Amino acid sequence: MAWEYSEKTKQLFMDAVQGKPGTHLGEIKDPDGMGEHGSIACGDSMRFTFRVERHPTDPAKDVITDARYLTFGCTSAIAASEALCALIERGHYTPIEALKIQNKDIVEYLEGLPDQKIHCSVMGAEALEAAVFNWAQKRGVDLAALGIDIHPDEQNEGRIVCKCFSLTEPYLKRKIKELNLRTIPEITNAVKAGGACMSCHHVPGGLQDLLDEVWGADAKHPAPLKILPNIRMPDDTEIPTPGDGNGEVLSPYHFSKQVEKALDDYVRPMLKRDGGDVEIVDIKGTLVYCRFQGACAGCAGAAQTMTMMIERPLKDMVDERIRVIQV
Amino acid sequence: MSLVYADNNATTRVAPEVFDAMAPFFKEEYFNPSSMYDPAREVAHAVAKARRDVAQHLGGIDAKQILFTSCATESNNTAIFGAVRANPRRRHVITTAVEHPAVLGVCKDLQREGLDVTFLPVDAEGNLDVGRFIRALRPDTLLVTIMHANNETGVVFPVAELARITKETDPAIVFHTDATQSMGKIPIDLAGQYSHVDMLSFSGHKLHAPKGVGAMFLRRGTPCRPFMIGGHQEEGRRAGTENVPYIVGLARAVTLAAETHDEDMVRIGRMRDRLEGSLLEKISHLQINGGGSPRLPNTSNLSCHYIEGEGMLFELSAAGICASSGSACTSGSLEPSHVLLAMNVPFTAVHGSIRFSLSRYNTEEDVDRIVEVFPRVVANLRNMSPYWDQAKNRPRDDADKAAAPRPA
Repeated sequence: MAWEYSEKTKQLFMDAVQGKPGTHLGEIKDPDGMGEHGSIACGDSMRFTFRVERHPTDPAKDVITDARYLTFGCTSAIAASEALCALIERGHYTPIEALKIQNKDIVEYLEGLPDQKIHCSVMGAEALEAAVFNWAQKRGVDLAALGIDIHPDEQNEGRIVCKCFSLTEPYLKRKIKELNLRTIPEITNAVKAGGACMSCHHVPGGLQDLLDEVWGADAKHPAPLKILPNIRMPDDTEIPTPGDGNGEVLSPYHFSKQVEKALDDYVRPMLKRDGGDVEIVDIKGTLVYCRFQGACAGCAGAAQTMTMMIERPLKDMVDERIRVIQV
Repeated sequence: MSLVYADNNATTRVAPEVFDAMAPFFKEEYFNPSSMYDPAREVAHAVAKARRDVAQHLGGIDAKQILFTSCATESNNTAIFGAVRANPRRRHVITTAVEHPAVLGVCKDLQREGLDVTFLPVDAEGNLDVGRFIRALRPDTLLVTIMHANNETGVVFPVAELARITKETDPAIVFHTDATQSMGKIPIDLAGQYSHVDMLSFSGHKLHAPKGVGAMFLRRGTPCRPFMIGGHQEEGRRAGTENVPYIVGLARAVTLAAETHDEDMVRIGRMRDRLEGSLLEKISHLQINGGGSPRLPNTSNLSCHYIEGEGMLFELSAAGICASSGSACTSGSLEPSHVLLAMNVPFTAVHGSIRFSLSRYNTEEDVDRIVEVFPRVVANLRNMSPYWDQAKNRPRDDADKAAAPRPA
């Protein structure tokens, strides 16, 4: 997939990578607010920190003066991090005002993002939100009292819908509403849910069900894929079951014991004289899979030895239908 | 700035010799090889010669066993669906977890149709366990399809041996191998060492022929229903008017690869080893995926811990270097490479993979450029990674625990 990034996105990424002045790479020591989002296992993550100028009496009026990020992720994830910091510094926001920055503001600042990269901008908005909550806790600001939904514990208590990215039902429902997501691909582009194994798309309680619950069921959406049951044909077994030659059937246990015994008594002593040995890899019916060891491994006459010195005695002593296959 | 093209496992440049061989068939020799007049017979002869040339370089086999297709994906589809449909009594297929999507996707489709498919796992170095393979063989197994060399890591599977074991266990099982990456890089003798392989697929554009042409070897007597149905071309085994210029180009490319094989592979292998050696020296926390296994001489799959591959590609591209990555951001899905996941590459490194793949047109200067640029790219991105201690220039102490689910 070729890159279809805007010039602005590319420019921000290259500036950040080269550490040009005016970029926001880094981490603030003892920050006033710190938020993280994503994880290395999911493919992208961001640590966002900011410093405020403290208001002498009302912490709610602190103003963000410095914003920094460290980001593990692709080009657009890094550009989105850069955009977030630039937006915040440009606005001279209080942390509470900064919460108004949505992922679409980041996309706008970047002059557009490819659909499948929208989640990079969502990651920025999420890290910002987490950092503001962290600041509120430190400064004793009661966000709930100010009418801000801090959706506590939704990640810890909700049922996990997307196992690949461990995203819960309350989180996904909130995001579906907040970002106005109408289809499964839109959910995947925005928050990655359902983007890896895809098993949560059409199962009961899966993404389609969440969409239906939030927006009301849409009669037009396609019926879930039907998984056909495994159809097995009757086994036409071609590998004979071992017997003792008198019509009596040997159990796999006794058969392999007899093969081992024959090898120990007659075959291995001969091989060992030449500094070699043989190992049984597996036995299936009357097929015996053997691997040469020591001097026999790699010997030019290995194939012949297999037949003459191993298969022949086993046929004579255990079962004439035995075939030895070299591994 | 000249371009350093190190993505030859994705596609290759058309060799000038190949282009020259193709050219007459666009403007002058444009006839349909199925037509009756003399000029068309000339064209039919060119296709027949191309078929003989390809057969010659696959061990001097009878040329009638070579079919021309549009790409390796078509060859794989033809082989797998063809074998399954020709043998409805059996319902089990064996493949590996690291196949190219053109095989993996087809096998998953078979699963949806109700067949049993065994996906053999690989170890941390990308190798198959032969004992496990033997255990997977069942009385109702109809097809084994295992790639020759992996497109991402270059790890080579012992296909000749696996084919022999398969056929000695049960001659009715069909053995197919996808040799797209190994064609032209590893000699394949279908009359000798590889005589137990029933079907083999490859395409032209991995060995300096153009895109849009592939071939398939179908051993005489192997049950296989046609996939493309229509005209009598390829004796009814693959309908559709022959893509004459491309078929001629493919044959020329195969011949060219055989002529230069020994010299090329030694030189390319030396460049690859120097590239890996220099990068290992300059970059810490770097691992070679599949480095402990038999590998194609041209492929190097590296993982840089704690950074993400797409950013690396972007920076390399800005410096005029083309490579590819198995990171989630480049895969089109949100999951990183299935090959690296199957090899259990640690989660700190699976998103930070990069693949350099060389060809005969790469030079020592190309390697120098990569060795000069790539360590800088890695340092830049680590400088912005939340898992890297920028002051001490090493991973943070808590970086290994970074796999915790994302915080709300």
